[in-house]
This record gives sequence, C-alpha cells and structure tokens, in this order.
Amino acid sequence: MILELQATPEEVMRAVETLRAFGRERQVAEKDLFGLALALEECGSNIVNHALQRDARRKFRVVIEHTGTAVTIELRDRGPEFDPTQVRAVETATGEEAQRPGGWGLQLVRRFMDEIRYRREADENVLRLTKRLVRTKGQE
Amino acid sequence: MPLEIHIQKDVGPQNTGAVTVRLTGSLDTVTAPELERQLAPVLSGPIKDLVFDLAQLKFISSAGLRVFSAARKQLKGRGGQASFVNMQPQILEVFEIMKSLPGVAIFKDVTELDRYLAARQRSHNE
Repeated sequence: MILELQATPEEVMRAVETLRAFGRERQVAEKDLFGLALALEECGSNIVNHALQRDARRKFRVVIEHTGTAVTIELRDRGPEFDPTQVRAVETATGEEAQRPGGWGLQLVRRFMDEIRYRREADENVLRLTKRLVRTKGQE
Repeated sequence: MPLEIHIQKDVGPQNTGAVTVRLTGSLDTVTAPELERQLAPVLSGPIKDLVFDLAQLKFISSAGLRVFSAARKQLKGRGGQASFVNMQPQILEVFEIMKSLPGVAIFKDVTELDRYLAARQRSHNE
C-alpha cells in the first residue's frame, strides 16, 4: 500500500488510521498494531515537523507491506539529510527530554520496532521500519 | 480516533482538592495541542494535584508525553504532582520512558490513588 501525504499532522494520523485498517484486514495482533501505529506516528511527525517544516504544499510517501511474518513501513521525504539511527539514545535518567529532532519519539520507535534502517537515496531520506509479528494461537 | 477530555474537580468524600482529567481516545500529534490548551487554565490556578485517568486512553505518542511532562513540571514547581491511574498495558509501556521523572506518580487504580492522595492531604494539614 502506498500513501502520498501532505506535510501536516492530520495527514500523519490519516496514515496511522490507514495502517490500522490494513493490519486488521490481515489479522495483525492489536499489540503489534499499536507499536506499528506509534512508530509511524513518531517518524511521520518528525518528517512533518522537522524535515518539511509543516509546509502543507510539500509531500512525503509511506509504503506499508505485510509479508506474513512481518510488517514494514517505509517513509520517504525530500527534507535535509537526517539519519535517525545515528541519534544517540536520550538520557532520560537526568529528567528532561532533549530538544533535538526525535527525542522521546525515537526512543519509542526503538522500543517498539525490531529493525530500523536508513539510507539516503538521491535527494530522499528513506527510513524502513520492521516489526516481526507475534503469532496468535489461531495462526500457529 | 479523536480525543475526549473531561476535567473535573474532586468532589468525592475524600475531597482531596485534586483535579481529575479523564482522557478517552487518542493522544497524538493532532490532539495533544487541544489537551495542552484545556489544561492551561487549570494549571494557572492554585492546584497541586492533577490526576490523569487513562482507563479509556487507547493510544499515546511522544506528543502526549510532552503535554504530561510540561504539566508535571509546572506542578512540581509549586510542590505538586501529576498522577496517572488506570493505564492499559500498552499505554504503560509508552510511559516507561518518563515514569522515572520527578513529580510523576503512577497508580494501578483509583483506590490506590485515593489512599495516596488522602495521606498526602493529611501530611499537608499537619
């Protein structure tokens, strides 16, 4: 499934709702769907708020795939080069969230996703998130 | 998924003076600014204890955590506290990231919270 989205928070949540419907149609467990929705919300919001500066004329793309054992979400934007996998984990023990792109959001993505890969392809940031799926009893 | 916000001053038998905020739905990049807007007049008052009842909260992202954290910071500045009660497991997992912050308290249910608030009020009165 491919989604073309404008750089607004509402469009991020439209993508999240589409992902939920996509997952439920394929019997993805709610626990997995929660983590996938969260990762898409966080990464989509980073693109909207930082890479594309909430300029609704600019667009980004989300591709969702289900392989049977995993769901992948690929996000593509034409913002400045930014590799979230290189952002050091924020030290929350000291109390406050860092004021850099990502912050707590990236920590949550790391917590809920099994794999996060980034590459710069021509003028695009390409972020690929993978969640391996929990097998429910009926699927065994 | 929208967010419903109900804000109520504690009028129960314990009358702890706490304000309870019940959230239903999704606290995300779209809905978090509305919660922030509705909390502003509450936080500008003299309250010390703000209770977030999250029994019906289905989704939260870092945008929501940031609103909670800002409220916690304001309350902590006046010796107050933000408490969170009735969290569903997936919400609790997101909370792991901020639960160690000073001025945050998490309770399993309202009974546990009421006991804590009553004890806290007694210590204020002494």
